Amino acid sequence: MIPSRRAFLKNGGLALFGLGFGGVPSFIARAANSQKINGLYQKNKVLVCIFQRGAMDGLMAVTPFTDEYLKAARPGLFMTAAKQTTATYTPLIDLDGRFGLHPSMKSFEPLFREKRLAIVHGIGSPNTTRSHFDAQDYMESGTPFNKGTASGWLNRAAGLLGHEGNPFTAVSVTSALPRALYGNFPALAINNLQDFALQTKSSNPTGNSMVSKSFEDLYDQASLGLLKETGKESFDAMKALKKMDTKNYKPANAAVYPNSPLGNSLKQIAQLIKSDLGLEVAFAESGGWDTHFNQGTDNGAFARNVTDLSTAISAFWTDLEQYHDSVTLMTMTEFGRTVKQNGTRGTDHGRASCNFILGNDVNGGLVHGQMLPLSVENLADKRDLAVTTDFRSVFSEVAASHLKIQQTTSLFPDWDGKNIGVMRS
Amino acid sequence: MFVGLNFFVLSESIFSTLPYLPHAFINLLMQFQPCSKKIFAVLLVSFIGFSSFFQSTPKKFPYKKAGFTERAAAAHLLNRFSFGATPNQIDAVVAKGLEKWFAEQLEASLPDTQLQRRLQEYDDLSLTNTEVLATFPRPALIQRMAIKDGVLNVERDSLGNYKKEQKEIIKKYMDEKGYKPQQDLFRQFINSKILHCTYSENQLQEVMTDFWFNHFNVSMTKNECAHFIPAYERDVIRPNALGNFEKLLEATAKSPAMLTFLDNASSSGSNTTLTKRMNDKNAQAFLTKKLSEMGISEEERQEMNQQLNKLKAYNGLNENYARELMELHTLGVDGGYTQKDVTEAARILTGWTLFPMNEGKNQKPMKHILERLGEEEFKRRGFVKENDFLFAANRHDTGSKVVLGRTFQLSNGYEEGMELLHMLATNNATAQFICKKIATRFVCDTPAQTLVDKMATTFLKQKGDIKKVLITMVGAPEFWDKQAIREKVKSPFELAISTFRALNADIIQPYQVFNWLSRMGQKIYFYQAPTGFPDRGQYWINTGALLNRMNFGLAAATQKIPGININLAALNNNHEPESAEDALRIYSKLLMPERDLTLTIQRLTPLLNLPNLDKKITAAAQSTAPPPQMNTPLADDNYITPDDMADGKRKKIKENPKAKKINNESMTSAKGNYTMLSQVVGVIVGSPEFQRK
Repeated sequence: MIPSRRAFLKNGGLALFGLGFGGVPSFIARAANSQKINGLYQKNKVLVCIFQRGAMDGLMAVTPFTDEYLKAARPGLFMTAAKQTTATYTPLIDLDGRFGLHPSMKSFEPLFREKRLAIVHGIGSPNTTRSHFDAQDYMESGTPFNKGTASGWLNRAAGLLGHEGNPFTAVSVTSALPRALYGNFPALAINNLQDFALQTKSSNPTGNSMVSKSFEDLYDQASLGLLKETGKESFDAMKALKKMDTKNYKPANAAVYPNSPLGNSLKQIAQLIKSDLGLEVAFAESGGWDTHFNQGTDNGAFARNVTDLSTAISAFWTDLEQYHDSVTLMTMTEFGRTVKQNGTRGTDHGRASCNFILGNDVNGGLVHGQMLPLSVENLADKRDLAVTTDFRSVFSEVAASHLKIQQTTSLFPDWDGKNIGVMRS
Repeated sequence: MFVGLNFFVLSESIFSTLPYLPHAFINLLMQFQPCSKKIFAVLLVSFIGFSSFFQSTPKKFPYKKAGFTERAAAAHLLNRFSFGATPNQIDAVVAKGLEKWFAEQLEASLPDTQLQRRLQEYDDLSLTNTEVLATFPRPALIQRMAIKDGVLNVERDSLGNYKKEQKEIIKKYMDEKGYKPQQDLFRQFINSKILHCTYSENQLQEVMTDFWFNHFNVSMTKNECAHFIPAYERDVIRPNALGNFEKLLEATAKSPAMLTFLDNASSSGSNTTLTKRMNDKNAQAFLTKKLSEMGISEEERQEMNQQLNKLKAYNGLNENYARELMELHTLGVDGGYTQKDVTEAARILTGWTLFPMNEGKNQKPMKHILERLGEEEFKRRGFVKENDFLFAANRHDTGSKVVLGRTFQLSNGYEEGMELLHMLATNNATAQFICKKIATRFVCDTPAQTLVDKMATTFLKQKGDIKKVLITMVGAPEFWDKQAIREKVKSPFELAISTFRALNADIIQPYQVFNWLSRMGQKIYFYQAPTGFPDRGQYWINTGALLNRMNFGLAAATQKIPGININLAALNNNHEPESAEDALRIYSKLLMPERDLTLTIQRLTPLLNLPNLDKKITAAAQSTAPPPQMNTPLADDNYITPDDMADGKRKKIKENPKAKKINNESMTSAKGNYTMLSQVVGVIVGSPEFQRK
């Protein structure tokens, strides 16, 4: 018999934490009590979002390589999938006869062929701003015409999960809380899980435990309820993390994360998922996409970026093999880049880009969205890849399908458009 | 980040929303003068003089009725109207008289010698916006200038991530040209904030500066406005923090920081002088004649005409500022305005922009519109310049507008915006919204409506006099309600500054504090949304943040924050506590005067009485490894990197005689006791009681 999650939690299934003081962390126990009885034991669904800051050139990540206009517009940047005898570069990975994946993202190819990885091309914001700040702000708040929205869409998503949260329900592995997680739902920003401890900075166990015990006792008797509860949760979470031994983490299946900020973030998110502390919404970021200068082709700045992105994500996926049914990962970037290359072998700020969605319930193996031939009259403002899919369409479909969020109108208040079928329903 | 379009806005001219139109073309068009042009006089309305001239001691605060002793009342005042009491400050306030102390704080004219001494090295903070732009060009611009001047080879870089030798080239180039790295300015500014709040005698002014900055939030995360933020706080917020709300609102509306943060600087109407002129047949004929005189070919003229037609369709209205002006700055989200009101207000504010400034000293000087037209003509056409603010009459929508039922008929240019601000600043909904926000900051997270009503009445009657509103609040029984005492949770910033004040800390490297603030969840000046940080205990106290508060307490008290010197022994007149209990009792009282600490002390005492604790701690202290370098949360930040600050200032600290002295002192006292004492103090700072104000 498979026990219900509730029973599992209540009966001390979580004694695996073996916590010295309190046994089951209070927030897990509380979650067990507050959770609706939803039948069979299920792992939490987890949505992992990666923001590629700086605006990724979608046309180079996933190139419509049969497009002659693109070839003409980018003499120094264009690559094809065709194997040429005089090739000076590694060709693109032909996905479907029209779109080619950048060769540095070869670790994405099997995921795409297995139909777990979907690509949406022509995705972007209805707001035409080409300012990084504004476009990121709008994409993270989820309200592309309203700057004053106090909350971010991922915070709203966490609030719409339908149950009480705990310290690890919504976590951003960044130094400061991103705009996407601003809001009423308590969200945690942490750069390094090892920092989640009392830093007595002394090798002296007596002094340390004295300090730690002092704090615990003090917060236990705090008269302000808020401080008391959060205090207890902090100590429980700290102990739970200590048990995990985050420092000596060994990824499963010999997965190798790149030693980069994104690689480290995803590695830590994987640890949180495996520890079953209740993670449901996770956020990480990746930088360096603002390629105005020497973007490169199969080599160079852009290639380095997509290598990092794809190897970090595929390592994450390999590491989490046991969790594939519960995890969906989605990338996003504030806008795309100009169709034409600029005078310094780079590209400038444009409109639409592409994004990647990975998961077992993703309608993968397809390049979704619409893209007309890139002749000048088909371009936005005669220069940029036009936005044919509103980012809110994709974000809301993924959230609704994976996190089972019904009220997508609360998630994206001004959005009532259609889904394009990036998830299998 | 390199933001092409916005660079254009700054460096080109007020016509920058028309990026593809040649300058010469616009100049020609502007030379044409329709003879019937109506002349608008520019009236500068002054808002000085609402009753702030007579200084009056507020009437007796009603604390006795609420059961406060005078000392407890003084402690409460200090908790709410300062960044925390310094040692013996309660005695000083009682001696002065509570009401007199408050009146002095409202006047905010106490001499600040200590603060000024500490701010001496921050000389870049007195620069004007123009000077800032000239001295601290953005990295991307420096890069482009270096490439243009042939010292940097573009072929070898990518993404602006230079190799070591290229970094050196850029550094040398900057030295030669007299440019300084942006981070220096931001670092100085953040440092000065920490110093102001810790050391200013005029505490209420700093508290209100903090409050209003957050109310009219702008963010360093937005490159286009980051440069202007130091002057924004210095010239716009602080001087008006205890002044008049309408004047403050007007100053923010005209500030480069706000104009760029919420994009009004690039907003322009569809119905402007420029567009009208383009539709004017006489103007067209004038243009054709001029162009042919200049030898412009027919083909080129066609090309220009095409651009002109594009321009006609161009509607550069940006509603961001108008919306937040109503939603966040004045009426509040439920203040009874509609989307239509927002659009109309945005139309009224078209033309409100900043006067062009050159970024980088050696850039070609721009032809300012003022130079082009001459002062007289400039005014005659309805342009207004006030410091960095420019009302660009030619970008103003001249049609009629209706906001909140009031019609703004025929173009009144600049005056329309002033009327709009006046209307909003004196609205009932604004009085309620602002007073509730003030009460939330100073009383509790959910202030009584009766209190808000009293304050709002004063706000309207006294025409937005902030001092008067504060006097009403502190004179109301609701302020002294026992329920509200210590109900507020300190923000991370308040926690840090109150710690330094209570411990009489000598802050040599303020920037270290910024890193801690970020970890505790309050990266000051980097809050991205125009809402500002939420003012709610629940927002600040989440699990991770709480843990870092405890860590902060320990780090501060045990001298693990480099450049923050604390002499615990001196706080107790160099009397060494005789026992751990003694230390606990004495330092709890020093840190949290006038509070009932029975429970805190009760809880901690048994822990201190563990058998052989002293011995164990002493032994441990001797084996204590040096603290690991703290992770700087900014390491991955685009805007500020922690490198050079740390280098430069660390050297300084070594040479600082004061720092040495403290070390010596700590050597003379028993090392074990010192460690014990600092750990006790660390626990007190991290305790729940100290998180409340």
